[in-house]
Amino acid sequence: MSEAKTVRQDRPTRNPEVWLRQAGSENVAYDPARETVHVLNATAVAIWVLCDGETAPKEMIEAICQLSGLPFEVVEEDVSRILGEFEEAGIISWNG
Amino acid sequence: MGEEDQDPIRVLLADGQSLFREAMRVVLETQSDFEVVGEASDGMQAVAEAERTEPDLALIDVDLPNGDGIRATSIIAEHVPGCRILILSEQEDERTLISSLEAGATGFVTKGSPIGQLIDTARRVHGGETTIPPQMLGALLARLIWSKREHDNAIRRLGKLTRREREVLALLAQGADNAGIAQPLVISPETARTHVQNVLSKLGVHSRLEAAAFVVQNGLLDELEGVNA
Repeated sequence: MSEAKTVRQDRPTRNPEVWLRQAGSENVAYDPARETVHVLNATAVAIWVLCDGETAPKEMIEAICQLSGLPFEVVEEDVSRILGEFEEAGIISWNG
Repeated sequence: MGEEDQDPIRVLLADGQSLFREAMRVVLETQSDFEVVGEASDGMQAVAEAERTEPDLALIDVDLPNGDGIRATSIIAEHVPGCRILILSEQEDERTLISSLEAGATGFVTKGSPIGQLIDTARRVHGGETTIPPQMLGALLARLIWSKREHDNAIRRLGKLTRREREVLALLAQGADNAGIAQPLVISPETARTHVQNVLSKLGVHSRLEAAAFVVQNGLLDELEGVNA
């Protein structure tokens, strides 16, 4: 399995300063410290909710696979990309 | 879209309010790819109509009178396997959503949704997608993850038991007393009692009833099946 090489073992935590707000049909994460706004799609919002410091990316991927019936590799790519974008935007941190 | 080239989606409408059913029927009949083949005003009628008409899609209000929508969903999913089920709910309630999916629905939409969204959801559910309100996805995934952790934890606890103790637990889960455990395992009731005490201690439960509930609530009957064979 390739999952062991690519899925991070540590757990992401939401930046507590960042707010999530629904604006019409869109969800936005607002970071007051950086004064930045990030538009999140439904999957990104769900992953954001799961960034509680206790849930590992592998658990997120397995749950999405269970719900959607999509293959692990496909979901893994999406989840890893979204978490990478969250990290780059500074709206999550990682704990071991 | 080429919808007119295909057979229409045959729909059953189940809702306790005739005004809502009528409105849905009128709306769906403006769509060339839908055909309303049945209506029901309560849970029993929904099941009967689903069995009679064998629809492609059932739109079921979760709060149906006379056998709620969840129960009707469960029966329809079992008796009419070709029928996909979209639950209509007044509220975005996580427990209701999970109960709906566990009963066999593959779609969930609130009655407050725009009509276009409801129709789009109906098409997607009929097309084989599992469709839930996006804002409920995070809570649903969190619940799935929590359930898996609970199950994994239960399997770990079960792993502490010896083969004999698993046999005892399987019989406990069936409601057997010491004599009922001793007889099939060809041991004395006193030995059975000792095994029971060990099972309770290893599982970290305080009573036989709690041990039986541990097995049932964690879906471990399959894990134990065959140990007494």
